Amino acid sequence: MSDYGHDLLFGSFITPSASGAQQAVELAVTSDRSGLDLVTFQDHPYQASFLDTSTLLAYVAARTENVHISANVTSLPLRPPAVLARAAASLDILSGGRFELGIGAGAFWEGIAAMGGRSLTAAQGVEALREAITVIRDLWDTDTRGGVRHHGQYYQVNGAKRGPRPAHDIAVWVGAYKPRMLALTGSVGDGWLPSMEYLPRGVESLPEMNARIDEAAEGAGRSPSDVRRLMNFMNVQFSPASGGLLNGPAEAWAEQIAALALEHGLSAFIIGGDDRATIERFGAEVAPAARDMVARERGR
Amino acid sequence: MELGIALDLSEPGVSTGTWDELARLAEERGLALVVLTASDGRESVPEGGGAAASGEPSGEGAAAEQPATAGLDPWTAATWLAGRTSSIGIGVPLPDLRAESSHDAVTPYPMVVAKAGESFDLLAPGRLLTDAAAWVHAPRGASAEELSVLAGQGRPVVVPVDSEQEVRRLADLVSGAPRVVRPQRSLAVRARRRPGIDYESVPESLAGLAVEPGDPGYRGVASNYLRAGSPGLVLRPGTPDEVADALGYARRHTHLPLGIRSAGHGVSGRSTNKGGLVVDLRRMNGIEVLDPARRLVRIGPGATWKQVSAALHPHGWAIGSGDYGGVGVGGLATAGGIGLLGRAHGLTIDHLRGVELVLADGSQVRASADEHPELFWAFRGAGANFGVGTAFEFEADRIGQVGHAELTFVTTDIEKSLADYGRIASEAPRDTTVFLVTGRPRQGQWTVQLFGVVDNPDPEVIVERLTPFAQIGLLAQQQVVVTPYMGVMGSAADVGPEGHQGFGQPVSRSAFLPRLTPEFARDAADLLRSGRVYFFELRAMGGAIADVPSGEMAFPHRASAFQVTAMGANDGSINQVWDPLRHHFDGLYLSFETDPRPERLHDAFPPAVLERLREIKRHYDPNNLFRDNFNIDPHPDARTAPSGAVKS
Ligand SMILES: Cc1cc2nc3c(=O)[nH]c(=O)nc-3n(C[C@H](O)[C@H](O)[C@H](O)COP(=O)(O)OP(=O)(O)OC[C@H]3O[C@@H](n4cnc5c(N)ncnc54)[C@H](O)[C@@H]3O)c2cc1C
Repeated sequence: MSDYGHDLLFGSFITPSASGAQQAVELAVTSDRSGLDLVTFQDHPYQASFLDTSTLLAYVAARTENVHISANVTSLPLRPPAVLARAAASLDILSGGRFELGIGAGAFWEGIAAMGGRSLTAAQGVEALREAITVIRDLWDTDTRGGVRHHGQYYQVNGAKRGPRPAHDIAVWVGAYKPRMLALTGSVGDGWLPSMEYLPRGVESLPEMNARIDEAAEGAGRSPSDVRRLMNFMNVQFSPASGGLLNGPAEAWAEQIAALALEHGLSAFIIGGDDRATIERFGAEVAPAARDMVARERGR
Repeated sequence: MELGIALDLSEPGVSTGTWDELARLAEERGLALVVLTASDGRESVPEGGGAAASGEPSGEGAAAEQPATAGLDPWTAATWLAGRTSSIGIGVPLPDLRAESSHDAVTPYPMVVAKAGESFDLLAPGRLLTDAAAWVHAPRGASAEELSVLAGQGRPVVVPVDSEQEVRRLADLVSGAPRVVRPQRSLAVRARRRPGIDYESVPESLAGLAVEPGDPGYRGVASNYLRAGSPGLVLRPGTPDEVADALGYARRHTHLPLGIRSAGHGVSGRSTNKGGLVVDLRRMNGIEVLDPARRLVRIGPGATWKQVSAALHPHGWAIGSGDYGGVGVGGLATAGGIGLLGRAHGLTIDHLRGVELVLADGSQVRASADEHPELFWAFRGAGANFGVGTAFEFEADRIGQVGHAELTFVTTDIEKSLADYGRIASEAPRDTTVFLVTGRPRQGQWTVQLFGVVDNPDPEVIVERLTPFAQIGLLAQQQVVVTPYMGVMGSAADVGPEGHQGFGQPVSRSAFLPRLTPEFARDAADLLRSGRVYFFELRAMGGAIADVPSGEMAFPHRASAFQVTAMGANDGSINQVWDPLRHHFDGLYLSFETDPRPERLHDAFPPAVLERLREIKRHYDPNNLFRDNFNIDPHPDARTAPSGAVKS
């Protein structure tokens, strides 16, 4: 039982299909107009049928007004941290503080190698990510004087100029499942961004995984509530009868979301499916109802 | 003179709001290009000197005083700008990545950079310039004289700006209409250019979106639905004026094949080719209602029938089209349009009330019953020979829910199945149009598919109409739904920016069958038993199609009961089994015929019709510019042999 007290966020997870490039943009615009808080895209540069996610994010940011934008999650092995930091900060400035940095250690190493990236073991991947986050935050930090230097095991930076300075504190949300990654999330992340479908035992895994993050946060001298808990739900559907998690009428969705927020501390709900009508109803019906329920419970 | 603006990403004074506005103003005022520069160099130079410098051209030389922090990331800024504007060219040099990536934190991966470029092109087609040699930098505040000297190099000149006033000043210097900048191809791309094409003289209006081999979007425009192609240049006009420009360019390239493409489903017409020109009309896909009372609609050639059916659906209207929603308006409404509403509502061309077209000499005319009536007559049936249709005006029919059936049978007696189908389909009331498709036998057994439409919303009537068809074989699968016409066309796949992926060259034969006689059923069964035909289709005609007198348009084959199509592996193989069937036929439907033998032209058009067409051709296209689809040579006697159907 842990409610970390964050405001609820609602978002969409849109397939960055190259064949329907404008369709991906349209779904993002729909998300924006439907009042969602977040639009996210997976990042698999080696996937030929997908667009380059960084490019798509910038384009979508330009076409939307209010929604925050993030990769879900950035494939670090093909995105050098300094490049990523500058792109992130630039987009944050351009969009008026609407960019967030979802990031992961990388998967599909064959694909990564095919694009010229190096293959790392799982453990190395975690360490590389830890280094990268440091480099990224250093580049964003324009208050400190002098260039950024980093002589790590995985990354070299030799006096790179800092900046640009993001327009707001960009959140670093880590895609994590395994214990080492969860610990990293707790010690340095601003958020945890997994997918429900990949949790080993679904909702039942949440207490244990949350606890790992909490423990690591406290170990690093932070508070568990410094780490927002986000969640992707890929198989969702509005249907007349309840048939499982986010599969039923809008009221049932709202109740399930409120329960996940109050009992498991989830505070961002991101849905897949690439369906315009589902996105619209999610924003119009589910989000306000779930927010109400949670506010009422918390107000008690 | 082409002018653009340069925005300095490291400029501390220019807030991003202003920066956006400057680019938008430049676009609005008709400037050609926004170039993003980073005079501070994008990365600080690494101590060890290992990583490549970013390769940005610093127009003004090294900034005297470097800002303490880095400016905006050029790629992110360029993409953002593409989203905020809609047509202006965007120049941003991609980093020079010849250096092996060293796993440092500052060097992007070359393949990822290349992919970013392709993605940009998918999101904002034709607008990205990544080669800094494509433009010339002028100094800040350059005078009109200085600018015109720099413009003498033949490239757009970009001037650093930081105020709206300066953008306005530059815009005033460029007189005339907004122009699209000519994308400058890299050496690598230029190396793939085809001989005989004057790439440098592509008209200004078309240069921005023209696609050459090697361009990022090339793969998506090279092939058609059924045919592989590798044209030397694809022009993509968006207005009749631009079509006229494209034809002007084509007139200077008559030594090359010329394909006119609407939606790319052509079987007979060569809307793609090898090494030639293609005029691709896909951008001209508007659908608008002109007069609700008369149900008059105006449709661009690039629209597909799926899109048309969806747009007309809210009005309760439809226009009978083919059997597949992916087919384009341009190709179908110039040739015929034998579709699933044929017996109830006639051919697609029967609904055409007027057409706007660009003629071979570039002039724009409207043809209808009382404007250029001869041309209008010719266009409906032989349109591809006479001009490029840029807008088609149709009178739609009021069509509500229809019955849409797909029935699958198996049979060992194909002869009987064909004969039964022929009798039932032609005896059916005219609200019922059912097509038959079959192919090679498998283990002595054929799969026969019937699909059709009953133009009646009443399920009982639909079942009643379909019941007689149930005897043509052993029913294996059935699907019958009551749906608007939109539902019939809607199953077609949408074509995205990756375009068609056709491969090979279709070999297809087509004919009109006055009646499906027992002898034809027997001979057709032999044809199918030969195994040389993998696709065989019978389209039911009659009904409303036959109501139109055969002289009314250049589609004379009104009296036939069926249209037959057969597809095979190659000409030699299919001729052996198809030619013996010819005595059953009366003419051919050109849309499904790929036979290169010249005499096929006489099958498409009987002598009197052909003579009339030649006369009209001599008037409207005397030099035979339009020849990709069943060419009607205006001066056949001047050559040795009549020029017949197209050659591959
Ligand atoms: C899957 C499939 C199903 C089909 N079903 C039917 C059917 O049910 N009934 C039927 O009648 N036909 C049918 N056809 C044939 C089809 O009508 C023709 O192939 C038609 O030409 C395709 O039109 P398009 O615009 O898609 O093709 P494109 O390949 O773009 O054009 C084909 C040719 O039409 C001419 N053309 C195209 N646009 C213009 C224009 N704007 N002005 C002048 N000429 C132009 C050119 O000669 C060009 O080469 C089918 C074809 C396919 C591939």
